[in-house]
Amino acid sequence: MTVHAHRAEIRLAGSGGQGLITGMHILFRALAIEGRRAAQSQSYEPTSRGGFCYSDLIVSDDSGDYPLATGLGMVAALSQIGLDRSLALIKPGALLIVDERLVPEPPRSGFDLHVLPMAARAVEVGSPRIANVVALGALAHLGRLVPREVLEQAVRLETPPKFAELNLAAVREGWGLVGANVQV
Amino acid sequence: MTTPSLASLHGNRACAAGAIAAGCRFFAGYPITPSSEIAEQMSRELPRAEGVFIQMEDEISSLAAVIGASLGGVKAMTATSGPGFSLMQENLGYAAMTEVPCVIVNVMRGGPSTGMPTRPSQSDIMQARWGTHGDHPVIVVAPASVQEIYDETIRAFNLAEEFRTPVIVLYDEVIAHLLESVVLPQRDTVPTMTRKWASGEETTFLPYAATEDGVPIMARPGDGHRVHVTGLTHTPDGFPTQRPDLAAKATQRLLDKIEFNRDRIERNETFDIEDADVVIVAIGIVARAARRAVQELRSAGLRAGLFRPVTLWPFPEDALREAAAKATCVLVPEMNAGQLALEVERVVGPGKVARLNRIDGEPIAPADIVRRVREIAA
Repeated sequence: MTVHAHRAEIRLAGSGGQGLITGMHILFRALAIEGRRAAQSQSYEPTSRGGFCYSDLIVSDDSGDYPLATGLGMVAALSQIGLDRSLALIKPGALLIVDERLVPEPPRSGFDLHVLPMAARAVEVGSPRIANVVALGALAHLGRLVPREVLEQAVRLETPPKFAELNLAAVREGWGLVGANVQV
Repeated sequence: MTTPSLASLHGNRACAAGAIAAGCRFFAGYPITPSSEIAEQMSRELPRAEGVFIQMEDEISSLAAVIGASLGGVKAMTATSGPGFSLMQENLGYAAMTEVPCVIVNVMRGGPSTGMPTRPSQSDIMQARWGTHGDHPVIVVAPASVQEIYDETIRAFNLAEEFRTPVIVLYDEVIAHLLESVVLPQRDTVPTMTRKWASGEETTFLPYAATEDGVPIMARPGDGHRVHVTGLTHTPDGFPTQRPDLAAKATQRLLDKIEFNRDRIERNETFDIEDADVVIVAIGIVARAARRAVQELRSAGLRAGLFRPVTLWPFPEDALREAAAKATCVLVPEMNAGQLALEVERVVGPGKVARLNRIDGEPIAPADIVRRVREIAA
């Protein structure tokens, strides 16, 4: 499934403090630049310092559509608990990107699984705190969500100017993790 | 040339933006989850718009301050959630009795008492109607999307001004914290209403005299018209009365000004209703789930439809009666133990009504509704 379908359900899953909401705001902005309508929601609990957290984006051209997840088609997970607590909502065959270190036990089958060193690359680029943006780059590329330059434009619009270069480096790193064989 | 602009907006911030666009220039409140972003946003926006923001010591004083500001001539609002809404009930009745235009936003959360602060709920449907004592009129609007939070907040201010009554904007935590694509009109194209101001002879002015539509004319502070404001039952001059004929007349006019103007107040939305065997009646996020469920049921050959009251109170009863006339069943899914269902049963008859309730702090999903309709159809 791509975002060109009538409805796409996308999730960043992980733990509190990983920037999952910011990540989805960037993707929302990128899709908006492309003229798409969406709804973004998140776990709403005192989990800002750990514990299960998610941020969902429902892309739909039907403005009155149900804005919450019913069957996720694309998921990037940055913690084991984030993945485990999301599994029941993920559709069979969905695109599933997991961090190779933070998600030590990915499902063995049933999904289009990609195990990527997102957190490690974030550290290499400059900060462990930008794993969310690395994941977003990989997700946008593998999910064929938006062209790279639109995603970069959205990163500039949604992140503080002081950290623009760091975030741009992170999103390029994530995009590049996937390899050159994905057609957008 | 002014064109609307496509933006993405957070539910509670859309409420604040709508209030500012409607001309609100006073906010008094006590922040409470899950409504706090409204107060936060108003604290930023109002000073820029030459308005006033006050954080009060509690919700009782919050609504008291709002009433004072409105009597002073300014469009005013507050925002809260269930526990704070409970505290506001006395002053809500005072605003209804003294006919002070004001807007109260209640972002519902799990109850009773402090309940589940971060979990969604719809358990204030009846509190919004009957929370304050006495026979009183009330207008409640129930938006179901971020766009509608913006639009209905503007309409709430207009209704408050037009009918000199408190108007409640009632929605759930889910849409409060949704970031959604919206189309915002240019600020100067937003239609706004302002209460009728008194003119003419100051000393003979009657602050609660009935007019053609039942809504009295308000004295502008400083113009010199005599007013007396009291929560006691009062005659057109504003002073208390216990004479049976005058008391009955006063209360009746209060009720009639809403009842006789239903056509200007009521609003509802229908979806696939024409040939529906099962009509689903829902508000807020549950209506969004129901709409999705209707699409799924239709593609499986089951004729379902949706009736969504946008104006929750006064309840759009004639419109529902018509929408449900040919249906064999009316299903009322709601995030409480059964409140909206009581009103629907009154309107279409209890024999026809089925219920679906969740009180676990989770939103009702489309699949819940599909399952329930299949049970009914079986």
